[in-house]
Amino acid sequence: MDKWILKAMLGFIKIFSKKDVDFERLKIIAETKVLMDRRRAPASFRQKQRKEPKNPLLITLIIYTILGIFMSLMIIFIKSFMVSMIFLHAYLLFIMAMTLITDFSSVLLDTTDNQIILPKPVNSRTLFLARVVHILTYLLQFTIALTVFPLAVTFVKFGILSGILLSATLLLTVAFSMFFTYLLYGLILRFGNEQKIKDIVGYFQIFMTVFFAVGYQVIPRLINFENLNYTFTLYWYSYLLPPVWMAMALDAMHQFNFDSIHLLMIFCAFVIPVFCTWLMIKYLAPSFSRKLAALSNNNEAAKKNVTGKKFSKDLSEKLSRVMCVTQTESAGFEKVWKMTGRDKNFKLQFYPSLAYLLVFAFIFVFKSGKNISEIWNTLSSTKMFLWFVYLPMFSIASSLSIVAFHENYLASWIYQSTPITKPGEIISGMLKALMLKFFVPVYFILFIFSLYVWGYIIIDDFILGFFNNVLIYLLMASLSRHYLPFSRQPAIKEQAGKFVQIILQFLIIALLIGTHYLALKIYWLPGALIPFSIVTAYLLLKKIQQLPWLKISN
Amino acid sequence: MSVITTSGLKKQYNGIYVLKGINLDVNAGQVVGYIGPNGAGKSTTIKVIAGITDEFEGDVSVFGLDVRKHALEIKQRIGYIPEQAALYDVLTAIEYLRFVGKLYALNETVISSKSWELLRLFDLADKAETRMNTYSKGMKQKVLLISGLMHNPELIFLDEPLSGLDANAVILIKEILSQLKQNGKTIFYSSHIMDVVEKISDRIVIIDKGEVIADGSFENLQQQAQQGSLENIFTSLTGGDQQNTTTAKEFIKVLRS
Repeated sequence: MDKWILKAMLGFIKIFSKKDVDFERLKIIAETKVLMDRRRAPASFRQKQRKEPKNPLLITLIIYTILGIFMSLMIIFIKSFMVSMIFLHAYLLFIMAMTLITDFSSVLLDTTDNQIILPKPVNSRTLFLARVVHILTYLLQFTIALTVFPLAVTFVKFGILSGILLSATLLLTVAFSMFFTYLLYGLILRFGNEQKIKDIVGYFQIFMTVFFAVGYQVIPRLINFENLNYTFTLYWYSYLLPPVWMAMALDAMHQFNFDSIHLLMIFCAFVIPVFCTWLMIKYLAPSFSRKLAALSNNNEAAKKNVTGKKFSKDLSEKLSRVMCVTQTESAGFEKVWKMTGRDKNFKLQFYPSLAYLLVFAFIFVFKSGKNISEIWNTLSSTKMFLWFVYLPMFSIASSLSIVAFHENYLASWIYQSTPITKPGEIISGMLKALMLKFFVPVYFILFIFSLYVWGYIIIDDFILGFFNNVLIYLLMASLSRHYLPFSRQPAIKEQAGKFVQIILQFLIIALLIGTHYLALKIYWLPGALIPFSIVTAYLLLKKIQQLPWLKISN
Repeated sequence: MSVITTSGLKKQYNGIYVLKGINLDVNAGQVVGYIGPNGAGKSTTIKVIAGITDEFEGDVSVFGLDVRKHALEIKQRIGYIPEQAALYDVLTAIEYLRFVGKLYALNETVISSKSWELLRLFDLADKAETRMNTYSKGMKQKVLLISGLMHNPELIFLDEPLSGLDANAVILIKEILSQLKQNGKTIFYSSHIMDVVEKISDRIVIIDKGEVIADGSFENLQQQAQQGSLENIFTSLTGGDQQNTTTAKEFIKVLRS
């Protein structure tokens, strides 16, 4: 699809091109850029494919088309024209802005152009036009993927006029999302530097991944397609939102209502995006690229500020004194604690699985068709809190395998070159850090929540549950292959033959949870089981600490 | 005939001058080694002369043309090979060279035959159609070298051309540079590897903190500084000589504490 769009656009430029535009050079720059877009792995789905796919862009486009089908279903089933149009534009604005921020940022922030294209004999007008063609091609293919189905449905359901008008408002919405992206980058760059933008882009990526992960599970369950009679009132502040302008403009056409409020909204819908686009091309984008170029040229000045700062003692350094016995163990603890907070790839892979916790809780507790208030009222008479005791583990467990990988895995030579006699201590330090950093806070929140719902009777269950969870985590760690933290190459495949291991793990976990469940029937039993759990967990930890080099895989 | 002339070249970033008045006059066929400590302004000078940036003070002309007014014409006649392997590495070597060749407005068949031939000479023919993100730094450097030279420029800028190359490749590049010189090309390059600079340069320019502090042939500099190798001359001129010795002593002292 990108090639057709590019061809159409190039044909257009060829006809209208002025003499100071070098068409051949424009063509090769735009073609190369589009080719590179194809090969760039999209940010939000990156972690799922370990191998480099041939055309990752196509996969993203297909996913977006499927999202578009959902949207078109919504247009079919929602009775109010206004509501469906507001939804559609809001959704387009959101997805496009997110895509631009997370995915296209690598293009916008890329300064290698300065080193590659600027030394070549290309005039600035040609380069500018080539960039415009590239960005438009990129935007258009996403717009088409996202809106082709909703647009088709609108044409059929509301007529040709609405359809044509909708294509216009959708394009204006896309222009808006571009404007927002530049505005966001401009703001960040004003107060920070390039690295800051990259960090923030990283957080947006995590958010996007979580959004997709959770959205797929929750939204279909929330929307009841049979019963979509949303009534709809506009508050005064609704008129500040671009999707409302667009929907109102369409509504004016739809019911031939041109009162003053509709006219105002038509004005907003068409004039403001055009003005913003002009503002972006004229001022925002040039000042943005100038700042970026200055930053990449002026690294020395920026570095001085960083080295001048004295770091206060990290939280992990205080905690490791309490939590760890030997120096080796505390080294592992601190390293894992610090690096999991700073490594983008770890966060990108692990945080979505934390978000799945919400999804699990949602599905297990509220899976029945009853309404929420009814479930809420009967919740305290159930034994549902057992889900809250053991669910966190399923999310946290993934940290175990993720933490072994790191992009700069070669840096793990340091484990080999230092005189470590018990590598197991690094692993035990790692386990302690992961448990304390990720499991304990989540568990504590769920404990407070359960205390509120069920009262003090669940305290002993949560204590037993805590040690059982620790036990489960340690069991999983000791039954799987042992890798030192951040020592594996990200691209390598999982070894086969893990099936038996997984079954064994599940049996033991089921046994523990089952025991706890049965123990609930006798009120003193959960409390009595706590010492057993503690002792077993302690012995297991000791065993992990004693792991010799022979047992460590690499 | 002078190929490069700069007079009073100054450049600032945010009010800080990184070049404080560089005066240079480079003749055709000269090989100029441009050396200096990190942050001295080497890359910035090259960027100004190659017409990449036009925000500077003073006058700079290349081939007798003002860089501000005739940047495109100058760019067509020079080759620029940047540092840090800056290239689009999701492309294959052939695709990248095709891209660059077309930016120099070379004919497509010429691009294709030249790229294959040059890649073959650099032992990259079997990897010519794999994406460059699998390449080592040295391989990327070779592709960059081809991309900067394939339009047969008269004046060549190289920014750290030898960094990241293995010993064999260093010898090859050195040989290519001296062949280019014999073909009457003017070469202007920056490097950290002193003994290479010492051997192949007709003229050595040392800059420090945005100013030229020495300019002349290796023999000239040797007489000026009354010291042996270029490395010694360099450290004594940039004031690193005494400093480095004391730093090294301090370092050992802290290790033993």
